[in-house]
Amino acid sequence: MTDEELVKIIRTSDQEQYSVIVKKYQDKLFRYANNIVNDESRATDIVQQTFIKAFINLNGFDTKKSFSSWIYRIVHNEAMNLIKKYKKEVSLLPDFDIPSNDNVEDEYNKEETATEVKKCLKEIPLSYSEPLSLYYLEDKSYEEISDILRLPVSTVGTRINRAKTQLKKICKKNK
Amino acid sequence: MQKKQIDLTNEIMSKIKKGQIKMKPKWYFVLGSLSMILGLSSISIILMFVIRLFMFSIRSHGPMADIRLQQILSSFPLWAPVVAILGLIFGIFMLKKYDFSYKKNFYLVLLGVISAIILSGVLIDKFNLDRFMFGNRFGRGNGINRQAR
Repeated sequence: MTDEELVKIIRTSDQEQYSVIVKKYQDKLFRYANNIVNDESRATDIVQQTFIKAFINLNGFDTKKSFSSWIYRIVHNEAMNLIKKYKKEVSLLPDFDIPSNDNVEDEYNKEETATEVKKCLKEIPLSYSEPLSLYYLEDKSYEEISDILRLPVSTVGTRINRAKTQLKKICKKNK
Repeated sequence: MQKKQIDLTNEIMSKIKKGQIKMKPKWYFVLGSLSMILGLSSISIILMFVIRLFMFSIRSHGPMADIRLQQILSSFPLWAPVVAILGLIFGIFMLKKYDFSYKKNFYLVLLGVISAIILSGVLIDKFNLDRFMFGNRFGRGNGINRQAR
């Protein structure tokens, strides 16, 4: 059964089925939230708030679209709200422009890059680390990342490429 | 990378069972969306009126221009700004927590709305459709205006 079919059942007849959604997504969403805020306790709060908000607004979800992208979007919004709230406390690197290197794709395959991402993700700016973690750690497609972050697909591609270039430099430095 | 796992199932489900969190009904979202549509439509009507006013002003006019301008201004749909403000405030308030814009390309939507408004304004002016919208007060379609042009 797809998530969207499950949502239809939850909305119309069996709210207990929401536990299936919670079980399925809680760890993935926690990992994603923690990659954004770098704080397990806050990441847990974000995920909890996300499930509450998702349930409250479940009738507003269009079942023709992807539930996964929708719930990731809520996590993103919650995380951004929390970052704004604790701006001084959460250590965010300032935005900086990273030169693009389109050849990076040839040098790195997805598995190798995923390992590098896990090691050095926290060292690159959020605007780059977020699409990167969604792509390599959450296994989302460019299209899905574009939906979650509200960015054009081309921008997602550019950011991932730039992030990989930066990641390569940082990882080399750390070795 | 952390390998910590969380289990929020019981916590969330107990809140649902106790009724501490409840799903908003479907009509809530429909009403919110309708308010937004109504508000945006009213803004479109106001903008079309402004475009028509602008196109009237760039035409050559005779000695009765001031009077005709007054006539145009008096045909302004006063309900439109009221509906626009109320519709948008109500719509935004209702949909505040609801991601109604999910999976929509905002730049494309904005471009579409602006293009549609400008095109509507020009078409209304060109084909003299304003009599259906604002009454026949834009000084077109009568003998005096034809002479003035």
